[in-house]
Amino acid sequence: MMDKNLFYKAKRSLNLSTWLTHSILILLAFAMLFPFYWMLVTVFRPAQEVFSGSFHWLPQTFIGLENFHTALSQAPLLQVMINGVIVCIGVLVVQIVTSVPFAWALGKYRFPGKSVLFSIVLLGLCVPIQVPAIPLFLGLAQVDMLDTYFSLMFPFFLSVFAIFLFRQAFKSFPEDIIQAARLDGMSDFSILWRIVVPANKPVIAAFSVFSITAHWNDLYWPLIVITSEEMMTPPLGMASFADPAIGANFGALMAAATLITAPIMLIYTLMQKQFIQGVTNTGVK
Amino acid sequence: MSTSNVLKMPGLASIPIRRRKSKFDTIALWFVLPASVLMLATLLLPIVVVFILSFTNYELGNLEFSFIGFENYVRLFQDSQYWKSLWQTLQYALIVVPGSVLLGLFLALLVQSVQRGRKFYQFLFFLPVTATLVAMATVWKYLLHGTIGPVNHLLQSLGFQSIEFFGDPNLVLFSLSIIGIWQLAGFNMVLFIAGLMAIPQDMYDAARMDGADRPLDRLFNVTLPLLSPTMLFVIVTSSITAVKVFDTVAVLTQGGPQGGSDVILYSIYLEGFQYLRTGNAAAMTVTFLMLILVMSWVQTKIIDKKVHYS
Amino acid sequence: MNIIRKKLFGLFAGAILCFTGTGMAQAEKITLDVIHAWPGHNPFYEKVAEAFTKANPDIDIKFRASPPSYDDGHQALLRGIITNKLPDVYFSGFHLLPELVAALDKRKRSVDLAPFIEKESADWLNANYEPSILSLAQVNGKQYGLAFNASTPIIFYNGDLVKKVTGSSDNFPNDWDATIELAGKIGKLGDGINGMAYDVHAWPDDWLWRAMIMEQGDPVMNDDGKTVAFGGESGKKALNKAVRFMKEGAMDLRDFEQSRQQFVAGKIGFIFSSPNGARAFSDLVGDRFELRSAVFPIANKIDGKLPTGGNAAMILSQDEKRQQAAWEFIKFATSAEGQKLAVLGSGYMPTNKIALEPQYLGDFYKANPNWRTSLDQIQYAQAWGGYPGNNSVQVWRTQRDIIGNVMRGNVGVDEGLEQLVSETNKLLAK
Repeated sequence: MMDKNLFYKAKRSLNLSTWLTHSILILLAFAMLFPFYWMLVTVFRPAQEVFSGSFHWLPQTFIGLENFHTALSQAPLLQVMINGVIVCIGVLVVQIVTSVPFAWALGKYRFPGKSVLFSIVLLGLCVPIQVPAIPLFLGLAQVDMLDTYFSLMFPFFLSVFAIFLFRQAFKSFPEDIIQAARLDGMSDFSILWRIVVPANKPVIAAFSVFSITAHWNDLYWPLIVITSEEMMTPPLGMASFADPAIGANFGALMAAATLITAPIMLIYTLMQKQFIQGVTNTGVK
Repeated sequence: MSTSNVLKMPGLASIPIRRRKSKFDTIALWFVLPASVLMLATLLLPIVVVFILSFTNYELGNLEFSFIGFENYVRLFQDSQYWKSLWQTLQYALIVVPGSVLLGLFLALLVQSVQRGRKFYQFLFFLPVTATLVAMATVWKYLLHGTIGPVNHLLQSLGFQSIEFFGDPNLVLFSLSIIGIWQLAGFNMVLFIAGLMAIPQDMYDAARMDGADRPLDRLFNVTLPLLSPTMLFVIVTSSITAVKVFDTVAVLTQGGPQGGSDVILYSIYLEGFQYLRTGNAAAMTVTFLMLILVMSWVQTKIIDKKVHYS
Repeated sequence: MNIIRKKLFGLFAGAILCFTGTGMAQAEKITLDVIHAWPGHNPFYEKVAEAFTKANPDIDIKFRASPPSYDDGHQALLRGIITNKLPDVYFSGFHLLPELVAALDKRKRSVDLAPFIEKESADWLNANYEPSILSLAQVNGKQYGLAFNASTPIIFYNGDLVKKVTGSSDNFPNDWDATIELAGKIGKLGDGINGMAYDVHAWPDDWLWRAMIMEQGDPVMNDDGKTVAFGGESGKKALNKAVRFMKEGAMDLRDFEQSRQQFVAGKIGFIFSSPNGARAFSDLVGDRFELRSAVFPIANKIDGKLPTGGNAAMILSQDEKRQQAAWEFIKFATSAEGQKLAVLGSGYMPTNKIALEPQYLGDFYKANPNWRTSLDQIQYAQAWGGYPGNNSVQVWRTQRDIIGNVMRGNVGVDEGLEQLVSETNKLLAK
């Protein structure tokens, strides 16, 4: 009897607090997504409306896809996005190929220099690209490799973040499976790539989202190392519009921004399930 | 079956243990080789070069340079601009870290507490993390315009005075940290959600049986303590991210107005790539690195004590 | 049979090679590698390049990614010197041209234009360019570039607001006292409206600051070339005026971009700007209010000067053929035809005399008076001038901080001036 009453009481209060929670979440979501909303609205506004003294929710004059036209014609956006794809994929592939075995070794093996290497990994987490930038720039200049895809990708081939993440995930991989595989005659190499990696797809997927997002949006290093237009990466392509001297063609800037930000958001949308799962699996403990 | 059992199996007893052990070692060394080479080339060697450069007076473009010992460091410690940018970086971090950590935690708790729509909210709140900063920065600059920006419109309609977000040197760091929190909160939220999902339901049931029935009780007695390892990770990574602030300063304020947003990485960028005083920039870089290492170490030590490991 | 086949094949192949050989020799295309700053200017640079290639089919123009500003471009060039990746043509900001030439000289890579000019017809130089324009790209008497974009600071004003306080949107005042007074009156209209904006505290380079010294007819550098000359009356007057902007002119200190946004939103009476704002302002203002422009209210109408902003096209290539092609390009870019394209796309002053003729820009200016304001004060244009040494960028950043502090009232005019002079001299000595 008492349980039933408690149940109904709980249910009602649950509904009230759920309703409240949803409201707060929606309000916060609105606040956090407001910049995106303004970005989209500006794409469909004529230049005159962009900076008016009063605030309007919707464009008073709808100019359709005009800004997209301008954006696409004024900047080589397609080329820029292709560059972004090439760089991100190139970086990601090397990152995974080098950090997976490294993390596996750190997690499961004993070997000389293990703790030294792990300390270097931790050190690496604290080192932003600005630190090795000058020596890397000078080095690349010496071998005349500036302004190339390689120069864009090189500093990022090593990902200590990937090593860190994967080690967490691999460490808890069941020992029995490994032993069984060994007894079956599988080499350690095959065990890693045929058993461990497929089992850890979510973590690798999660990391891939991080990596692609970071390198798609990277500004500092490309700014230093790229000089020709056809090597520009997405943020550099965007900078073509953000010009204080002329006051910035805002509509086109926002159109370009939408086009350039969209792929990343798309990737995230598609990979969301694995992304969350992957982060959970690393058991950030 | 553990390795030792395998070793005791008949037939294998004749194989000297040392050789078997070294077999595993070797494969591990092959595994770490590729990344180690990269480590050397893109991390360690450049740091060493930066370290060496910090003792020279090399300027980018010069044909020659000389070693000047600790002169760069001495000059640095006497430079008030340098201390100012260190202090301002710290101020920025002191706003962004608690802001993004608490907001991330709050969002995670709320999102996980509803039955429906979790994925939807997770998606929405993570979006800012994926956006390209060059574009969003220009948007923010307008949103935070001192008079005609929407945020000020809102403030004015609520009866407050309008705030000169980017024009006032005393406020500019705060304005930048709003953007910083905006970009980081979603990321932290995801990490916290992962941590929350790892808390087994039995913990809550056990707590309820012990009398901790109300949500706040559950929060403080079960959730937060069990979340503390995640909390440590989030705080340390947020601190490092905050101290590495550069993009927003470079795109929006260029250190202004009147040096109000000079942060350490931007100062290094100016010194090394604008004024081309490479030796000096290298010295600043070395001190920056020391700072981050010390900060991370200290944080880990302090917070680790409070962490509850299951 | 085989031998004949082989021979025929050989003849045939030889013929093809000859064909393509001669064909290639005739169509030997040169592609010039060009850099200009300000990505927003891409459209008109491309128009000029297109028109040039049409007239010179065997020379192609390829632009590198545009550095965001003159200062950034300068820095990219310096890096290019080290990595041996200089472009064939570079459009250098005037104020940094001397520094760049000095850096190039060190490696014996500067290109004097004298030999190219000599080859042209006798009066080509005079027919096309004013001496003042030519001086903008001269270092130590040598011509290192041809001025491509030029501008002097002008005022854009909100005709509606001016009308509200004076009854008419014509007759903008021409001296400082009246101008500041007008700003004060506009400021009193309330509703968050500012009287004026003279954003010297937020300008990307020292253009507006130099204007404040040069308009008094005073020099910026002392004759020794080592110390600055505005430590006395000229500097004091300038700083005092800046403070008056704040106190009497209803000016607020804002970020550079946000100030322009405030103006186009109709909330500032008038703003000092480069004439290249004409296009952007008219787009962003639309028909929100009447957009007008006026000349700079020079303090000393007899000796006062205004720094000429803009850039000059320089040849950097070391190969003779490419140099020749580069010369043709910069000749075209600064010709009446090239200038017409440049001006219409930007609002800059034409650097070519002939461009003012009706068939080029004459008629356009009649119809769009806002665009020709800079020309109305051309007699005051003087070289922008940079600082000696290679710290110009840092010098301005330091100066800007101090000037901003004075305008905010954090520091008194006298103290601020002292700081300005000592800090600048310190950096110049480095």
